[in-house]
Amino acid sequence: MSEIANGHSLPTGRAARVQGCTMCTAVSHIDAEHCEDCGAHLHGRWANSIEKTWAWLITSVILYIPANTLPIMYTRFLGNETPNTILGGVVTLWHHGSYPIAAIIFIASVFVPIGKIIILSWLCISVQLKSPLARRHKTLLYRVTEVVGRWSMVDVFVVGILAALIQLGNIMTILPGPAALAFAAMVVTTMLAAISFDTRLIWALNAQRNTHDRE
Amino acid sequence: MSQLEPSRMVCHECDLLVDVPLLKAHDKAFCPRCEYLLAANRPNATEKILAFSVTALTFLVLANSFAFISLSASGQEQTVTLIESVNVLFEQHVLLAGIVFATIIGVPASLLAGMGYVSISLRLSKRLPGTHRALRWSLHMLPWSMAEIFLIGILVSFIKIVALARVELGASFWAYVFFTVSLMLVILNIDRRELWRQVNAVSNV
Repeated sequence: MSEIANGHSLPTGRAARVQGCTMCTAVSHIDAEHCEDCGAHLHGRWANSIEKTWAWLITSVILYIPANTLPIMYTRFLGNETPNTILGGVVTLWHHGSYPIAAIIFIASVFVPIGKIIILSWLCISVQLKSPLARRHKTLLYRVTEVVGRWSMVDVFVVGILAALIQLGNIMTILPGPAALAFAAMVVTTMLAAISFDTRLIWALNAQRNTHDRE
Repeated sequence: MSQLEPSRMVCHECDLLVDVPLLKAHDKAFCPRCEYLLAANRPNATEKILAFSVTALTFLVLANSFAFISLSASGQEQTVTLIESVNVLFEQHVLLAGIVFATIIGVPASLLAGMGYVSISLRLSKRLPGTHRALRWSLHMLPWSMAEIFLIGILVSFIKIVALARVELGASFWAYVFFTVSLMLVILNIDRRELWRQVNAVSNV
């Protein structure tokens, strides 16, 4: 798995005093402020990446509390209004035998967001501790969170669709609850946390320990 | 253009300096250290982006033109269009409706319009006014386009609703499915490096 298999170290952009543009990939001098090709601001993601990621992560943890404790929707059935929470909905579906749907909602609304928050926190901590271990796996984990994280929005869409469609007057009505917005905001903030995280920091130690890669 | 010229790149994910060799049709270049996809030669990418953008936008119009879904339960029947259902949601919860509308219609539509505009510039070999802005906007919008997630949301909701009412899918539902497929095909053919290189290579109008 080692990239140093051929016996010589590869230069990094930082060592060569250049940086890549995140918008168009063009290579510029490390001190350049704007990309010559596309005009994008080259603010060097190195700066404040970890702080920004932490800020978004903490926001998402705070939002996750109302998202789970408040009702995500209200079901009005023959005059009785019942509040439903995310977990309550999963339990109800499970008892009714809708195992696949219960599993989808559980994975999208509980497993994925919590997993994403844990992984990104661990990545931030390991960068702060300057840990050079398992860099390839960390990068892979980051990519998985980036791809999978958006799918948590499924639950928000389900509530939106049910609320928009189930308007059967006196028989049955479904209304969105406050948790739906908190949950949507939580998904957006975890996405912003992932975008803020600079994966190059995982590899940055290589600049100091050029030849001995401890993969 | 079947070949992509060699170029020097800095890996977006691990900062390795890489000399990307000449890429033939269907070739992809990955970072040798972290395996990030650096560049890909997708033949006729511009033409595909243009064709699928127009297709997707057409299907989006169709998805808003007919019945999306019909529900019937206890003698009551209800047929709604996509826009009507978003409107119902707007009356209940403005912010939530805003997020849903943006991620399933607004963002994908503006992304498609932007990519379509950029590919027209490239096809004409003339940089139309605002091409740079359109490309930058479209690339920024990429992570926030959630049409495919909405489709899964529809399927989950339907399985929930089937227990309560009879559900019939309208023509617009299928139009939305084709819209999503076309949108995915546009996104698959986007390569930042190549698009910016080509946009900078064509001259101003």
